[in-house]
Amino acid sequence: MALFVAKRLLMALATVLVVAVLAFLLVHAMPGSPGAVSLGAGASQDAISQLNQQLGWNDPLFTQFFRWLGDAVQGNLGNSLIDGRSVSADLASRLPVTASLAAGATILSAILGIALGVTAAVRGGLLDQAIGGFVGLLVALPAFWVGIIFVYLFAVQSSIFPATGYVPFEVSPQDWAMSLALPVITLAVGGAAFIARQTRASMLEALQQEHIRTLRATATPTWKILYVHALRYASLPIVAGIALQFIGLFGGSVIAEQLFAMPGLGQAVQSSVSTHDAPAVQGVVVIATVVVVAVNLVLELATKFLDPKLRAS
Amino acid sequence: MIPTVAPAPADADQAGSTTAAGAPVPGAGKAVLARFSKHRLFASPGAVAGLVWLAALVIASLTAPLWLPFKTEDQDFTAVLSGPTAAHWLGTDELGRDILSRIFAAAAGTLGTSMITVIVGVGLGTILAMAAAGAGERTEAAISRITEVMMSLPGTVIILAVIGAVGTNIPMVMAILGILMSAGIYRVILGQAKSLQSQLYVDAAKVDGVGPLGISVRHVLPGLANTIVVQAALIFAVGMLIQAGLAFIGFGPPIPQPSWGGMIQGASQHVYDAPWMMVPTGAVLALTVLSANAIGNALGKAPNTAAPHLPSAAARRQRAKAVAAIASAAPAAVTQDGAAKGTLSVRNLSVGVDSTGAGSGVRLVTDVSFDVEQGTVLGLVGESGCGKTMTALSLLGLLPSGVSVTGGQILWNGRNLAATTDKAMETVRGRDIALISQEPMRALDPMFTVGYQLTATIRRLRGMGKAEAREEARNLLEKVGIVDAARILKTYPHQISGGMAQRVAIALALAGQPKLLVADEPTTALDVTVQAEILSLLRALVTDTGMSVVMVTHDLGVVADICDQVAVMYAGQVVENGRTDSILDNPRHPYTLALLAADPHANHANDMPERLATIQGQVPQPKDWPTGCRFAARCQFAGSACLEPVPLLSSGAGTGVVRCVKADQLAVEGMDWLATDVPAARAFEITPTQNPRTLQTIVEKDLA
Amino acid sequence: MSTAVTERRDSPPPSAATPMLEVKDLVVRYGRGRKAAAAPAAVDHVSFSIAPGETVGLVGESGSGKSTIGKAILGLQKVSGGTITYQGNDITSAGAAQRRALGGELRAVFQDPNSSLNPRNTIGTSLAEPLRLRGVSAAEARAKAGDMLERVGLPRDAVDRYPSQFSGGQRQRISVARALICDPQLVVCDEAVSALDLSTQAQVLNLLADLRDERGLSYLFIAHDIAVVQFLAQRVVVLYRGQVMESGPAAAVTENPRHPFTQALVAASPVPRPAEQAARREARESLGVRTGAAAVPAPGGCPFRLRCPLATDLCATERPALRRVGTADVACHYA
Repeated sequence: MALFVAKRLLMALATVLVVAVLAFLLVHAMPGSPGAVSLGAGASQDAISQLNQQLGWNDPLFTQFFRWLGDAVQGNLGNSLIDGRSVSADLASRLPVTASLAAGATILSAILGIALGVTAAVRGGLLDQAIGGFVGLLVALPAFWVGIIFVYLFAVQSSIFPATGYVPFEVSPQDWAMSLALPVITLAVGGAAFIARQTRASMLEALQQEHIRTLRATATPTWKILYVHALRYASLPIVAGIALQFIGLFGGSVIAEQLFAMPGLGQAVQSSVSTHDAPAVQGVVVIATVVVVAVNLVLELATKFLDPKLRAS
Repeated sequence: MIPTVAPAPADADQAGSTTAAGAPVPGAGKAVLARFSKHRLFASPGAVAGLVWLAALVIASLTAPLWLPFKTEDQDFTAVLSGPTAAHWLGTDELGRDILSRIFAAAAGTLGTSMITVIVGVGLGTILAMAAAGAGERTEAAISRITEVMMSLPGTVIILAVIGAVGTNIPMVMAILGILMSAGIYRVILGQAKSLQSQLYVDAAKVDGVGPLGISVRHVLPGLANTIVVQAALIFAVGMLIQAGLAFIGFGPPIPQPSWGGMIQGASQHVYDAPWMMVPTGAVLALTVLSANAIGNALGKAPNTAAPHLPSAAARRQRAKAVAAIASAAPAAVTQDGAAKGTLSVRNLSVGVDSTGAGSGVRLVTDVSFDVEQGTVLGLVGESGCGKTMTALSLLGLLPSGVSVTGGQILWNGRNLAATTDKAMETVRGRDIALISQEPMRALDPMFTVGYQLTATIRRLRGMGKAEAREEARNLLEKVGIVDAARILKTYPHQISGGMAQRVAIALALAGQPKLLVADEPTTALDVTVQAEILSLLRALVTDTGMSVVMVTHDLGVVADICDQVAVMYAGQVVENGRTDSILDNPRHPYTLALLAADPHANHANDMPERLATIQGQVPQPKDWPTGCRFAARCQFAGSACLEPVPLLSSGAGTGVVRCVKADQLAVEGMDWLATDVPAARAFEITPTQNPRTLQTIVEKDLA
Repeated sequence: MSTAVTERRDSPPPSAATPMLEVKDLVVRYGRGRKAAAAPAAVDHVSFSIAPGETVGLVGESGSGKSTIGKAILGLQKVSGGTITYQGNDITSAGAAQRRALGGELRAVFQDPNSSLNPRNTIGTSLAEPLRLRGVSAAEARAKAGDMLERVGLPRDAVDRYPSQFSGGQRQRISVARALICDPQLVVCDEAVSALDLSTQAQVLNLLADLRDERGLSYLFIAHDIAVVQFLAQRVVVLYRGQVMESGPAAAVTENPRHPFTQALVAASPVPRPAEQAARREARESLGVRTGAAAVPAPGGCPFRLRCPLATDLCATERPALRRVGTADVACHYA
């Protein structure tokens, strides 16, 4: 087990490193030198090249990457070319926004999705078909469109929730929850549909297993067969589906952040890509990767714990 | 943006695993393609609607300049941000541009660029999967490692970084999106490609000398076709959503060129003053995604998914109705006489496929009767397709979904189990009648330890406390011959051997101290030395506990070893029933005679014949059962009398019965089932076998 | 080669009696790395040979390595040691091209009739595949496929049908037709009748016997059922945990087994005559063979020792070599 964890940790580190290199190369392929971006239009060529020299832009790529890496491991991701602020500090303030969004949406999707999926599989008949149709519709709806409709219904027509903005938890837990509500629900719509499908399929597969017949032959009550044995069997693919969902939502939050004006990582990527703010882009990519890889690692360990076959080996 | 950079889940996955096994393609099907489309795609109204919508959209978009009422950039300042009007059916945007025109003009571009993602993603994923499946463990491990890394990347963020580098070059962005998505597709396809690679026909082709590339292209790729199309449809939908999402956050095609996402972004800025604007484009986008998904799901629906062992609530309600019908048809009056403790008496039992769904009304078991006295073993013997397992499962009310008892009685101590509701059967199962099945490994729950499964069952059936049940579990394991019971209690099913698992399954069946054990081919999956041990164990249990056993088997040797009585089944009927020694030593029915003659175990090495006796043809399908003797078409002794329905007649040996009109004549003449083959060309007709010519030959034989 | 397998590594095979197939000291290990090296081999120094026209049965329980040996001979399984010689040619690690050059003389019939034919191809396509690979024209291959189908008792027009239109027994006949279509001299039958019902099993066994007599074929007949092997084989090789326990003439091995494992195997196979079976059961119970569920033996020594009534300390330390007892070769210190 310890060996497995060590191996996976190494894998995770390698993943982050690969992404860092990729991001570095991508950022270097962006149009415009950092000097030009930083000084903006109308700056003299001399000023630009002077700033470039100062930022180390002319050094070999190799040197630049290791300089960046050296700083990064100490927690310094450089400064924004646009406003000169520390990228690390900026991202540190944004991370909780995106994390609450993604985590909230994942949890909500999981609860709704499992409930819908299990109901469809267990009840069968018309209810199954109805849920199937509903879920199929949800999967097809673009998140931003859903978001707009929610804003229209719950913020414009009836101002139950604030339409935009984010209130940090420390400021007011209640407002924090209110500000998250719409974006979380928006993101959870598609996620819940995805997990519902996964759950329904896994439950049905579980119920096709022969040991279910053994349980019936020993007079196991139906609820216990369904919610202890079948759900336990189905839990592995469901957890895997939830993990995928989190990864997707973490990146996908960019839509919700844009729509609801949330100062999260997604918004940072969007704006820094638009402004060609190289250090910011690179920082966001690496931080997002670190978070996603870490969550993946945790979920993989969870899967391993859930599966007796893996646990034993 | 769509929440995940991984292919859509569930349905597609399932299809992958089920169709993969190269399962015998159901029904017939000359043209694979015809069947493929006939049965899946066009069976789903959603998918048909989706196809029509997509086709209409593409055609409309490509021909847009010819028919569109407005040019996409025409601005109508008299109608800015208008709702639907006679002039602008779907309204106008903030510059007074016609929304309908813009939607259709943008369609081809949106669909076309999504196809780039499909081609790159599905193409790369398929190639990687085929390479991994074909090139051995090491390559597979390497490729899988890489895709794992790809799947744990925040795809959206990376796509945005790419946009930062290359700009809003949509084809390029969609291609890179395809690369990112290929990892998920690889995962879906890999399982199926590996399963196809492990098919015996691939081995056969390798033996022929077909190289790895030939195997992949000729034998693996065609098998993947359906999954590939399914994935393509789903990825197409995802690609479209992501593209629209990118446009929505400002990374769409250059501004004046219409794009669906861009139009939605425009609409989002007018949520307050012109809420209508977001409706048309969003709806068209959603409809298109829905269409692609519907097509994918219809194709991905596994054709022959196994029936669940616990029917859904809806199916259970339906079954309760069927049981009520049986109960009202057969009043309980018949019963109470001679209802000795532990006696099973099956009377005229019929089992059939339910009248709803595929193959409705087909009979699987007809008019089966037998008795099992307490402390005896009854064998139900026959070839596959004879209805013996269905008969056995009906005793516990555990017939598969869609199959139910259609008539007759199952009298257990005088109570008719055929007319007992599923709920009421819970008091019988485990406590009175228990089950062991063919695959012990699959009969145990893989997620729980042997100890948990045993103690939970003991506590439930015997009402014991935790500690007491634990002790009893250990006793039971020792009783079934497990020496290190304490260790086995802590193991999971996958950690023990097949023989050990069957012992555990028997212990589980014994947990409620049943009086009747239904054993469905309990030793078929085991090695012969283990089989002998299990049979000895069962015999000892019968002697010690006085329980009775219904033993389903196809092996006449097993019957000889353990059964007191035997009922030989053929095509859903009992053809011969009586004491084991009288039937095996002196068979009266030609089918029994033929089975014994065909069994190489019946011969010693010294007197092994040059040829074994055979029975021409095969067991007829239920739908082809004739009204007369069901064995007549294959019987060497059949005559014209065999075309009439045959009742069970006394065989002359005790209470034995035989379903053959010529049984007495054959017994007198002492005929043997001939070992010579019927000329091969005649013996093998293509299924289904029933046709008038067969009957003709029978009549001729009779006259000769 | 009717004499049994013995260790004759030094003498080259006399050219007059070149065996159809010779397997020498075959070793197969699954997996790789240190872990695999420590685990017992799936096939552990197995040697046997098949003479032209001879049928050798390979019998054993699950995990005995019998199918692995078949796969190794067919080139479907990597070999870790030893040699496989086919008509004097070393094919131990022959690739696809080299096997193709053998001219289709070494063929196979597999167990599962459901998966041994590609469900997406017509019978004709499946039958023609090996011929087409050898440059036979499409028309000629089709004609030959029709001939072969008639020979196995199916109508010629079956070439245009799909496997799903045939029953299990018929599909197995088609597999036999496919194996025989390019006139092989050796056919490896891997559990070729195990999945069939009694009556169809008899049909296929008869067919295999007829074709052998007609064409002078050699078979390597792999099966778990000793009675089926007894019907077809002249010689039988009994395997246990990857090692040869006993080999010799079929009648001797099945009627008068010398190795304690063979005795247990033969005694456990039930016969459909109640009185005789009762006697056999008693005989089996008096053998004193312990249950197979016992712990896996450590490598080295006799693999059967933990179940064997005759086992002593010697059996744990020294692997018994095959030695002649009566007409059979037996790997037991005490047989």
